[in-house]
Amino acid sequence: MTEELTPVPEDLSFGAALAELEQIVKALEGGQLELEDSLARYERGVSLLRACRAKLGDAQQRVTMLIGELEDEESE
Amino acid sequence: MSLVRTVPPGPGWGAKSLSDAVPALSVSDAMRLAKRALEQLSLRVVGEVSECTVKPGYKAVYFTVRDEYAVLPCLMWRDAFDACGLDLRPGMLVEASGSFTAYAPKGRMQFQVRSLNPAGEGVLRLQVAALARRLEAEGLMATERKRPLPAFPRKIGLVTSPRGKAVHDVIRTLCRRYPVAELVIAGVQVEGEGSVAAIVRGLQTVADHPGVDVVILGRGGGSYEDLMPFNAEEIARAIAACPVPVVTGIGHEPDDSIADMVADYRASTPTAAAESVAPARDEIAERLDAAARLLGRALAHSVRERAHHLRLLAQRPVFRDTACLLSARMQSLDFTAEALNRALPESLRLSQDALARMRDAMGRSASHLLDPHAARVDASRTRLSAGGMRFLERGERSWDLCAARLEDLSPLGILQRGYAVCYDETGSRVVRSIEDVRSGDRVRVRLASGSLGCLVEDARTES
Repeated sequence: MTEELTPVPEDLSFGAALAELEQIVKALEGGQLELEDSLARYERGVSLLRACRAKLGDAQQRVTMLIGELEDEESE
Repeated sequence: MSLVRTVPPGPGWGAKSLSDAVPALSVSDAMRLAKRALEQLSLRVVGEVSECTVKPGYKAVYFTVRDEYAVLPCLMWRDAFDACGLDLRPGMLVEASGSFTAYAPKGRMQFQVRSLNPAGEGVLRLQVAALARRLEAEGLMATERKRPLPAFPRKIGLVTSPRGKAVHDVIRTLCRRYPVAELVIAGVQVEGEGSVAAIVRGLQTVADHPGVDVVILGRGGGSYEDLMPFNAEEIARAIAACPVPVVTGIGHEPDDSIADMVADYRASTPTAAAESVAPARDEIAERLDAAARLLGRALAHSVRERAHHLRLLAQRPVFRDTACLLSARMQSLDFTAEALNRALPESLRLSQDALARMRDAMGRSASHLLDPHAARVDASRTRLSAGGMRFLERGERSWDLCAARLEDLSPLGILQRGYAVCYDETGSRVVRSIEDVRSGDRVRVRLASGSLGCLVEDARTES
């Protein structure tokens, strides 16, 4: 694992983080890894998991208006 | 038209064969024949509604449509009429689909309407269908063109009216399902004059916004005419040219708009469109939980397996009995020591003999080694002493010469030749100038044999 080349989980998009996490689970389940590698991937997996959960939990829908102004529903 | 064709050709022959071969019919039978023939004729008729009778409790709705030269009585069964949802009024231009029939009790031919639409819309539908065929022929609606939607969009573009339900339906749905994605909205006019250009600009604006990876084109429900902008060719082309997938969620209209056909995915409503572009929060949470469980389990399993492997290794004989690891080497050490013991005395004796032989040889050769050196030392000594004598003789001769020369240079020698030296009274300072003395001073004059005490009478400069 080239730990220093892989981006920190917080910098990944949600989809990329989830995809990497599931990849790690698959590799660990395969059981073909060195123990050190297993531990490194496990750690990476845990941090990805934490980042994903944080993103999902904390997210407030961000809405940007490029054109026009949003009006309340009642105004219709 | 088909009625005409059933009549045999040739008026004379036809009239004759009819009257001869077939007996005369009753009025009922004649009407029955006419009704059966009329009902073969299925068609669409466009005309203006003149009279109409829409009364609650009646099984059918009766109206007439007309054009400049003809009138057509129509009836429509109540169920079908209610289903078409048209508010029928005199003067309205309608398109009626159905077939002719006859009502025997009144001897009346009428048109039985199955479906009824405003006629303006009918024309529009024809135009839309033609455009759809053209775009389809161009390949704009081909299945291969449809792009897959991103599983986890980062930013979702939305082009819709900033007013009304649709925009809020989308916001609410995304909030609930996938608040991770940012929503980028172009609030544009979606019906009436200028709406097509506004929608096209909206599509381009959100698609150009950095990070947007899917676009929703949404519109709440409306009549066919309200939804017409979504059948515009410009919008179809803007959707096809959009660099990211486009999902339509337009109205509740049963027919697909052209935008729907060209879009990468067609959802039935704005809410459904929002659902289609974002994964459900619960599903993701479930996937994360599953990943967390599997992650721990996989690592634990991996460690357990290795621990087991280690235990197996630890039970091997080499680790249980260290002596067995060393026994072979210990034994070979013993053998070596024994061999060494045997070999040592013999080896020592051999060495002693060799040493003795070497001592004798050295004794014999030592004197021969010294002889040449002794001869060289003697010769050197003789040469050295001879050189020394020569050096001394030369030195003595030089000494005599130097002494004679020294004699010549002595001031006393000069006095011997008649010179005198004048000192002051004390005899310590030589008087070199007349300035050094005055008349009446005493001076001492030194000659070779002794000195004279003298009195200076005068001092004169030698002219």
